[in-house]
Amino acid sequence: MSDASDTSRPATERLNILHLFPRTLGMNGENGNVDILVHRAEARGLSVNVKRYEDGDSLPAAVDLVFIGSGPVSAQLETQPWLSVLAPPLRALAAHDVPFLAVGAGFQLLGESVTLADGTVLAGAGVFPVTTTVAGERVVGDFVVSSPVLGTLVGFENRGSYVDILDAAPIGHVVYGRGNVAATGPGASAGAAAIAASGATAEGTVRVAPDDRVEGYWVGNLVGTHLHGPVLANNPALADWLLTAALARRGETLPPAPASLAEIDRRASKARDTIAAAPLSE
Amino acid sequence: MGVRTSAAVAVGRAVRVAARLRGGGSAIPGTVALRIAPRFLEDTIAAIPRGVVAVSGSNGKSTTTNMLAAILREHGLKVFTNPSGGNLPQGIASSVLSQVALNGRLDADIAILEVDEGYGPKLTKLLKPRTVLLLNIQIDQLNRYHEPDRVVRMLEQVAMTATTSLILNRDDNHLVDMDKRIPGSREVAFFGASAELITGAAHGVASADRFGDAHAAAGTREAAVTVTALGDSSATLSIDGQQIDVRLPARGLHYALDAAGAAATARSVLGADFRPEKVTSALGGLTTVYGRGELLEVDGESIEIIMMKNPASLQLNLDSLETQPEQVFMAIDEGTPDPSWIYDIDLSSLSHVDVITGSKAWQFAVRLGYAGIPVGTVDLDVRAAVKQFLALPRPASGRKTMILNYEQMMGIRKILGFKELEGGGQA
Repeated sequence: MSDASDTSRPATERLNILHLFPRTLGMNGENGNVDILVHRAEARGLSVNVKRYEDGDSLPAAVDLVFIGSGPVSAQLETQPWLSVLAPPLRALAAHDVPFLAVGAGFQLLGESVTLADGTVLAGAGVFPVTTTVAGERVVGDFVVSSPVLGTLVGFENRGSYVDILDAAPIGHVVYGRGNVAATGPGASAGAAAIAASGATAEGTVRVAPDDRVEGYWVGNLVGTHLHGPVLANNPALADWLLTAALARRGETLPPAPASLAEIDRRASKARDTIAAAPLSE
Repeated sequence: MGVRTSAAVAVGRAVRVAARLRGGGSAIPGTVALRIAPRFLEDTIAAIPRGVVAVSGSNGKSTTTNMLAAILREHGLKVFTNPSGGNLPQGIASSVLSQVALNGRLDADIAILEVDEGYGPKLTKLLKPRTVLLLNIQIDQLNRYHEPDRVVRMLEQVAMTATTSLILNRDDNHLVDMDKRIPGSREVAFFGASAELITGAAHGVASADRFGDAHAAAGTREAAVTVTALGDSSATLSIDGQQIDVRLPARGLHYALDAAGAAATARSVLGADFRPEKVTSALGGLTTVYGRGELLEVDGESIEIIMMKNPASLQLNLDSLETQPEQVFMAIDEGTPDPSWIYDIDLSSLSHVDVITGSKAWQFAVRLGYAGIPVGTVDLDVRAAVKQFLALPRPASGRKTMILNYEQMMGIRKILGFKELEGGGQA
């Protein structure tokens, strides 16, 4: 998969992807999301440039799409100090409708705050108006979400925290798995007793019924989720939605998919069907 | 030896015979024995005169345990060990049952036990090993361990139970200074590979990243045993300045490091009685452990089995391939619940894949699509897929390649007519 940096063309003619913390927040195939965006853009003849931001680098002037992935708590602690520098430019990008895809630990860090298990509060970048509390029983298993925009999204859920999105719109309803907060229903393994035993606080725990489970955050061009897989592998429609949003800001449209992408999408559709037909959790 | 232990031996053995008659061993006899005598493991294993060596880490446990047992046997010791994969309490208890006398005595000088990381802290507290050998900490089973940092903490607890000595991989980001991070004092010895070999390997030793605190860099400790050269299924080890050649189960730096870990542990256990040349003779006579560089003969063709237990094992095994395999079969099922990590794997040593099966087949087909690697057939029916793969024309190299997760490796061995099973009980 290409590292895609076509410097023969000026930034204005390229699709500029900003990949935040690829090393620290690149656990478990998360960087595959960027490879997939690059592949899907290049397969349509677009020229792509990926800026990988690790620590203390300067941010590029032109950014059309932002991705941040996931990692362990130790990686969050390592990454968080850079947020004070990063937060103002990232918020400015969000205010200008630049699409963001933020997954897991990265989604949490781009929120308002993350409260760790020991009570430490990490200040987030404030791009997403959400707060995260590390608490409750960890939920590990297949994850099936129904999005009103994109239909069935599938992935893998592996988290030990709650995300409070207030009244904002989620990505969709949870069909299998847990979602943002403590819940009951198929795949939502955190039972009431387990939550109580974990010492989760009342503020951090909003318990919802099976039908009310929701996943992630999706307002405007900001998408945050705990779908792994990586998320864009199983759900190419979300990848194309992000590329479309990035191009739309520049008055461009996404060219149709060539046959090679149609074949990958057929396989992804089979993968979604297989997981959704018999989801499993631990 | 208590009445409970004798009862556990008697009943457990009866269950074992029954299980064998049904075909294949399993962890069930051990489970029964542990139910009758909860202290079954302590009572039988604690009586072994030279105590216990515990072997743990993300990858290479079975291979290294096998090597270490062979080296100690070559030195004349009677060794009790758990067959590969039987690394949970019930699996170890099943192994005890197969060798214990009715009075609860094991006829062995020393026990070499492969210990699962997750059960490690509990199990080693119970068994009080004299020596602990830790091989590596790599990204592994995040569905089970959640994050590598948790595995680090588990293995720290395992290391703390070593009463006499601790053997560590100096080329691992987390093990290089583990002796300094844990309380208590014990002898410490390191093993590793030369800097040239580490930098020369496509993906180094695939050690899990370490974030946060300032710490010793991997490779910076003095090693008692060092891999200094790597050949085709062979390596040269430098032991206290003496160079010895050893045979490996297959190509690969990871197998050479397993051999170095086994040699460093034997050196520590045997002290003045250790003879480096016996490492050569011991490893020369070993058969491979299932799925770890194993070659199966089926209808006059050889099938090379590559196990993908986790990202590191798959990457290192792919890196060790000499040429792009001619015919490739992949099978992955729910034993790998979250295959996201395939996007971290460099698959460039594969030119194509002929057949993919197992419940995760479509996810792999998507990954291969993005990697630009052609895929022949996807068939979720494992038997049909195996049949189709075997029917492919005979490869010019005479060798077919199967890349399998652990669960599929066990199932497909059976489909191919290899009946005997591992010790059972691997999670």
